[in-house]
Amino acid sequence: MNEELDSQLSAMFDDELPPGECELLARRLSRDAVLQARWSRYAAIGAAVRGGNVHLSGRVAQKVSVAIVAESALASTPLPRARDGARAASPWLRGIAGVAVAASVAALSILWLQGGYSDAPAPLVARAPAPVAPAAETRASYVVPRSAEQRMTVPATELANYVVAHSEFSTPVSRRNLLSALMASEPAAAGSAEQSQSLGPNDDPNPHADQAR
Amino acid sequence: MQTKRVSEQLAWLALALAAAAGALAQEPRQWLERMNQALTSRNYDGVFSHWQDGRVEMLRIVHRNQNGQVTERLASLDGSGREFIRTGTELTCYLPDKRTVLVETQPAGAGSLLASFPTFDEKSAGFYDIRELLRTRINRRDTRVIAVTPHDEFRYGYRLWIDETTAMPLKTQLCDAHGRIIEQVVFASLTVANHIPDSAFRPEVATDGFQWLRNDPSPLAAGVPNTSALWSALKLPPGFHMTVRSAQVLPGASDPVAHLVFTDGLASVSVFVESRSAQVPADQQSVSGVASVGSASAFSTVIDGHKVTAVGEVPPATVRFIASSVKRSEAPLAAGATGH
Repeated sequence: MNEELDSQLSAMFDDELPPGECELLARRLSRDAVLQARWSRYAAIGAAVRGGNVHLSGRVAQKVSVAIVAESALASTPLPRARDGARAASPWLRGIAGVAVAASVAALSILWLQGGYSDAPAPLVARAPAPVAPAAETRASYVVPRSAEQRMTVPATELANYVVAHSEFSTPVSRRNLLSALMASEPAAAGSAEQSQSLGPNDDPNPHADQAR
Repeated sequence: MQTKRVSEQLAWLALALAAAAGALAQEPRQWLERMNQALTSRNYDGVFSHWQDGRVEMLRIVHRNQNGQVTERLASLDGSGREFIRTGTELTCYLPDKRTVLVETQPAGAGSLLASFPTFDEKSAGFYDIRELLRTRINRRDTRVIAVTPHDEFRYGYRLWIDETTAMPLKTQLCDAHGRIIEQVVFASLTVANHIPDSAFRPEVATDGFQWLRNDPSPLAAGVPNTSALWSALKLPPGFHMTVRSAQVLPGASDPVAHLVFTDGLASVSVFVESRSAQVPADQQSVSGVASVGSASAFSTVIDGHKVTAVGEVPPATVRFIASSVKRSEAPLAAGATGH
């Protein structure tokens, strides 16, 4: 893969690629297996494209043997963060809806990224993308070779518990938002991911933001 | 003599103008207070859309305050079908997609829900710019649009469309320091009622065969020491201070966690401290990580052999700052905050 394409892919993942270029790249992505593999890797390692080390907490919670584990998350389709709203993201997200873009994340879509507080670098550990399209089933999981490094995850269930406990001490608006986010935090089944990502004209917050400014 | 009279008149005029300006500055804050009061004290039933990161979910909220007893039901109308039902200090989370029910109970004496809100005062106001942007209409209702803009990047801001009649927020946006929208809630329908029947708070989820997980609301009664008094933050972002220090057992867990709450009056951050589980390999004892749940940020690290996790509706840098500043002392610290 050439450097420019790699850079474009990275920018798209970071939601920094102009919408027009996104659409072009999304079309290419839908028919280029090498590109799909790279995209899946980006989806899996998240912010690692910016140089950080990442571990996705796809493990079952250790302390809590509950059903809030990764079983359905393995079939989920988390999409990259659309930091500036879905207006730019949704067209190309729709374009790649048939591509396996998902990494396996823990239930509640909680993504833990390694921080810089460790003395030792952390390993990259990522699972295969969830099989959204039949073609994706052919890609086995991969694990970046482990070195003598460390990693730590907080189980998703535990973090959800923390959020609920914390919400008791938030303002009414914050509490409602926190609990709403927990309600909606797990992506829908892969097949409905596109629908859940799409915004109607009345749902896009950006026009209202402009109005309010 | 006449000059003196003119001077007096000018002084009075300046005083009146200053008072008017002060009242004008006060008014947006008063709308925030009215809004919080309305959200907690009114009875209402509404359907709203929750937008975050390009995902939209429709939810229904039913809220009742009957003689100080708060009952609330939050239900997902699509997707997961989850429901959260709060009765007093007990929050029950129905997770049909996981066939699980979590019951979270605040420890005795933790205070009522209404008492645990951050207090927004003059000092807090110094960290935000609060102003009325415009008056507009939403769903044929007259609203005031209030903008709460943070002065630094340690906290988020809000835009609130507050109904003039009921003071209910018909629309809210959570924004970062650059004004970018992180999360939005818009009511599609909202009914403010005098009375809401008990039937409105019954879950629609059939829980046959579900796993129920409860926390122990009184861990101290079981002989577990309250270690929360041993923990504090050496440094905090400007404007934050500790308001709560408690210990509790979370649903499904066996050991209590120390729970510290820090707030600037609007934003709040919880810090949870727990002993590292023996199951955690020794080679994972010193690594940190950040995470997000909706608009909430989280940061976890290990300090003195304890796992310290900060969670709050603040930017990631803030939870990282606070969690990293938490330190353990040998002797219990003097109560500088509300202890439970």
